Amino acid sequence: MKTADIYGGIIGILIGAYAIWEGSRMPTDVVMKIGPSFFPNILAGFLILFSVILLINALKGRSKGTVEPMRLSDKGVQRGLITLAATIVFCVVLEPLGFIPTAIIFLVFMMLVMGKRSALAMVIAPPLVTLSIWLIFEKVLYLSLPPGVLVDIL
Amino acid sequence: MEFNWELMLSSYAAVFTPSILFMICIGTTAGIVIGALPGLTATMGVALLVPLTFGRPPLESLSMLMGIYCGAMYGGAISAILIRTPGTPAAAATVMEGYPMAKRGEAGRAMAMALFASFFGGIVGALIMTFASPFISNVALEFGPVEYFGLAIFGLSVIISISGRSMIKGMMSAFFGLLISAIGFDPISGFPRFTFGMVEMMEGPPFIPTLIGLFAVSEVFSEVQKTGVVQQVKAKLDQYLPSWKDIKYCFRELCRSSIIGTVIGAIPGAGGDIAAFISYGEAKRASKNPERYGHGEIEGLAASECANNSCSGGAMIPLLSLGVPGDAVTAVLLGAFVIQGLQPGPMLYKEHIDIVYQIFASMMLAQFAMQFIGMAGIQLFARVIMVDRAILTPSIFVLSMVGAFAMRSNIFDVYTTLAFGILGYVMTRYDYPLSPILLALILGPMAEANLRRAMVISAGDPSILVSRPIAVGLMALAVISLVLSIRGHRKVEARMAEMEKQFEKVIQE
Repeated sequence: MKTADIYGGIIGILIGAYAIWEGSRMPTDVVMKIGPSFFPNILAGFLILFSVILLINALKGRSKGTVEPMRLSDKGVQRGLITLAATIVFCVVLEPLGFIPTAIIFLVFMMLVMGKRSALAMVIAPPLVTLSIWLIFEKVLYLSLPPGVLVDIL
Repeated sequence: MEFNWELMLSSYAAVFTPSILFMICIGTTAGIVIGALPGLTATMGVALLVPLTFGRPPLESLSMLMGIYCGAMYGGAISAILIRTPGTPAAAATVMEGYPMAKRGEAGRAMAMALFASFFGGIVGALIMTFASPFISNVALEFGPVEYFGLAIFGLSVIISISGRSMIKGMMSAFFGLLISAIGFDPISGFPRFTFGMVEMMEGPPFIPTLIGLFAVSEVFSEVQKTGVVQQVKAKLDQYLPSWKDIKYCFRELCRSSIIGTVIGAIPGAGGDIAAFISYGEAKRASKNPERYGHGEIEGLAASECANNSCSGGAMIPLLSLGVPGDAVTAVLLGAFVIQGLQPGPMLYKEHIDIVYQIFASMMLAQFAMQFIGMAGIQLFARVIMVDRAILTPSIFVLSMVGAFAMRSNIFDVYTTLAFGILGYVMTRYDYPLSPILLALILGPMAEANLRRAMVISAGDPSILVSRPIAVGLMALAVISLVLSIRGHRKVEARMAEMEKQFEKVIQE
């Protein structure tokens, strides 16, 4: 956890420093003395303070807990990274391709990633899940989902 | 504000309609299923299903969410008992007694007691909520900006002090969450802050997509990394209600734990997991047979289950009467209230008193629904645990994204959900608690807006902050709770570590 805490502390300090820098460019309120930067500056100050404490503790070897290191050779980590890429692609293509095709392709792909090999499950589950969600949102709740390429059919 | 019996009766009549009862039953069933599935928490369940309430009438929506909340709190016990994996964090204490009982061949007895204890705790919590909230809101009606600022500071101090294993990381989470809450228009001058020039950020990060990301999508990322062989449930479940002897044996603990659970629930920031562990610890301390604990003592199981369900009633008290959520689930519920055009807090009692009493009624009925549905579907819920993760996990992601998109039909919300999902996963992995962020998102604007409002009233004189006795009292409480928690943190940490050790022991056995 030591290295992770060092990184965590540095990120905390950077976020706090950014907030203070951004705050310095905000206008000050002449009437009430405290303007829009007053509250964020206090919060950023505290975030930096606790980040520094975390950093010092980590450097002194007083970090608590353990964390399993992320190794690229680990199957779980590989699945995690593939999932991350798949979720980003899902978000990017959701609007142009439309909800139904995107969700079906995503579900089939993720089932494969998670080790599902049954052809029958692949054929039945993704369309069933997708259509159920689509029906609930579109037909029961009247909330529209991106139609995408199926715009003329739906 | 006097307690209005007449309104209470008419509210029960309003809730006793087929459509509302149907929504309560749907919510409770969904809640039990979500709770029973390890990795799916009550917070996640409510966050995932809030989008299903868009466009529905307030009472229908809120009744369903109450059902999910109550059902999920009990559902966690099912997997805790049958496969020694707590379905929700609140059921971690249940594993310690429930699983050894199942191993002894008493799964049916343990399940029946878990359900009854949940029902008992839920009823006590709902009763205390019904009678306490109106009086607290009455006091809160006198609140001005200074008191609200004091209240927000008190809420934040408690959240910071009790969240997570590492206090420093809890503090960092809370201040990070408060900074996120500062994104968007400044509440007084309207100056846009930290928006990176994006129009979508002007109103701050959208609440529902943020919490769906933090609590549902982050869980998807950690679930896909696990290689889980689905555990098969072979236990015989032949008991629906605990025996009279068991009820009599556990009655004292049921009463005590339901009170402890409600009180802990009412403290902002403390949720069902803390309530269950503290009640379990207290039950063990007061027991005549403490040596039986950890080996399948039904009294410990009853204490833990009773506390985590009574906690839900307790957590609703500050939400309804002060507008400050008692735990992470009620923070999500607050979002659902706002979507329905209702702002929880003392004004809710003035403007929508009918809705408040109907919520009391639906919370109470949700407990009965949980008991009946729990009994009727016990065999089915035990099977739910065996559902294939390769289908469930990606489906949760799709549902999360659809839920985030549906409210405003805005693709920006989908990206927000994903970003907070990744953030939530990284934070959980490195032991930074997520609940403080959620609560900070609510309490941050409340603290800032009221502080600035007070300063407008006093023309910039800060002495206004100490001019009202209730505000001074609340701020003093905030300081006391911070000092006490810093001093007592090690003690609590040691106790929690001891509990976790016991928990690990049971798991390994």
